[in-house]
Amino acid sequence: MPKSLFKKFITSPALGFLIFILVFWQILGFLNVLNESLIPAPLDVLASVQQEPLDFFKSFQESFLNSLAGFTLSLVFGTAVAFLFSLSSFLKRALLPWAVFFQTVPIIAIAPLLVIYFDYGSTTVIAASFIVSLFPILANTLAGLARIPVAQEQLFDLYQASPWQKLLKLKLPHSLPTVFAGLRVAAGLSIVGTVAGEFVAGGGLGSIIDTGRTQQRVDRVFAALILLAFMGWIFIAFVNLAGFFLNKKRPYGIQ
Amino acid sequence: MIKIMFQFIRSLLFVFVLSIGSLSFAEKIQLALNWKAEPEFGGFYTALIEGYYREQGLEVEILEGGSGTPTIQMLASKKISYAIVSADEIILNRDRSDKNKIKALFSVFQKSPYALITAEQRGFKTLEELWKAPGVLAVQSGLPYFQFLTAKYGKPSAKVVPYTGGVTGLKNTPHFTQQGFMSIEPVAAEKIGVKPQSFLIADAGFDPYLVVLATHEDSLQKNPEVTEKLIKAVRKGWESYLKNPKKTNQHMAGINKSMDLATFEKGSSLQKDLIASPTLGEMSVEKWDRLSSQLLELKLIKKTLPGSQFLHAK
Repeated sequence: MPKSLFKKFITSPALGFLIFILVFWQILGFLNVLNESLIPAPLDVLASVQQEPLDFFKSFQESFLNSLAGFTLSLVFGTAVAFLFSLSSFLKRALLPWAVFFQTVPIIAIAPLLVIYFDYGSTTVIAASFIVSLFPILANTLAGLARIPVAQEQLFDLYQASPWQKLLKLKLPHSLPTVFAGLRVAAGLSIVGTVAGEFVAGGGLGSIIDTGRTQQRVDRVFAALILLAFMGWIFIAFVNLAGFFLNKKRPYGIQ
Repeated sequence: MIKIMFQFIRSLLFVFVLSIGSLSFAEKIQLALNWKAEPEFGGFYTALIEGYYREQGLEVEILEGGSGTPTIQMLASKKISYAIVSADEIILNRDRSDKNKIKALFSVFQKSPYALITAEQRGFKTLEELWKAPGVLAVQSGLPYFQFLTAKYGKPSAKVVPYTGGVTGLKNTPHFTQQGFMSIEPVAAEKIGVKPQSFLIADAGFDPYLVVLATHEDSLQKNPEVTEKLIKAVRKGWESYLKNPKKTNQHMAGINKSMDLATFEKGSSLQKDLIASPTLGEMSVEKWDRLSSQLLELKLIKKTLPGSQFLHAK
């Protein structure tokens, strides 16, 4: 299994594309076409990490934990609210229209306010991460819960299933593909929110980017951005893995 | 049908000729600020509203900046021909790549207005005292003067947090200190009921030229006259603004609604001493040299960069 996975990775088109881009970019760097202070070549970016690996490692860790906290909060809260809405159409009609606030709020604009409410430090960062990642989870879970075959719903009604039974045994299993699509969107957004939060509250890779901008260290900014992409990749891989295992388990493995 | 077409073409031609005729020979240039309209840019606006640019045959458009507008990198990438930067930015920029040949043309401030500001009631006598006191210190991360003060006085005892603008921290957060311009933030603080106390970083020995009009060497070589004319107009603008800032302040207060006219008035009088002496706009090689060697000592640049290369020699 691991061997075949490795082979799959080595021969994957994604890896080929990455290598192509990096080599092409580095060649541009060697040819001195790019201004290295504005667009650093891959090896320059790597060198900036090697200069202070501990700095990057600690910041990565900090941003990772904050994003994870924000994402988890969104997952718990978003799913809970979606369940609630699914059980009570009154609540849904009263509150859902206002949930769009979370979708449109420019996190950059309210981040300075979050500092005032939650003070400097990780609470603000987690709050920012939570705010931007909540909506996709809420919206997708709701959409998923509504996606049920009519015949099956009638069957549940026929057997006089309770709303709760209907939610857990019918709606939830059917909603999973949509829910997981939302989770993948939210995973990326939770990292975006973290960086926005770190710009105002300090710490993490956001702080490295901020300092890098002031000191015109574009290489460090790029390094931080690549690490953030890597973090997003880890998040999405975990979401996919969770989906894979959940799919093996009845009744969730319907699809 | 053909006749109509002819007529149409003729009228098109007419419009074309007319538009060529009405083209003025004014050189169009853009000047990018690194912040919103504030007293530290007063003279640039005076030159605009009094027509000093036009006198020189220039049509100048002033572009306001915002938080994090990277004017120095815009100059380096030649996205803009003229911009406001600071001396330390120019030196860092050259260190990052030899291709970045930015030249300083005119410095508004002779002494840097960078200051740390706190509430007067905390009763600090010196910058060092403030630096060593506990509390919260809000500064933009990565600022060279932060590194300078750390090297001079040791790590600050206060918790260092990012500066996100404004002065509300002085009112809401206990034991709060923040960065700012000596001529702007203290005035704003007073407006919200905090009696401020400012300490100039320059007095501690770190004194870069600030609000520096700069350009890329390429555009300097391509069109040297335009630059000379711009400098002339800017100088005249500043001379006028220092004497009588009222009209310009009203103009700027109309653009930047976050500050009222009284704040503009007070700011423009507070900054006067830092601008006019010894000579308006001029810069000395020695001061550039000193800044360059300070940045090297702080390890913010990798090699010695003599100051003369950053100055535009007339």
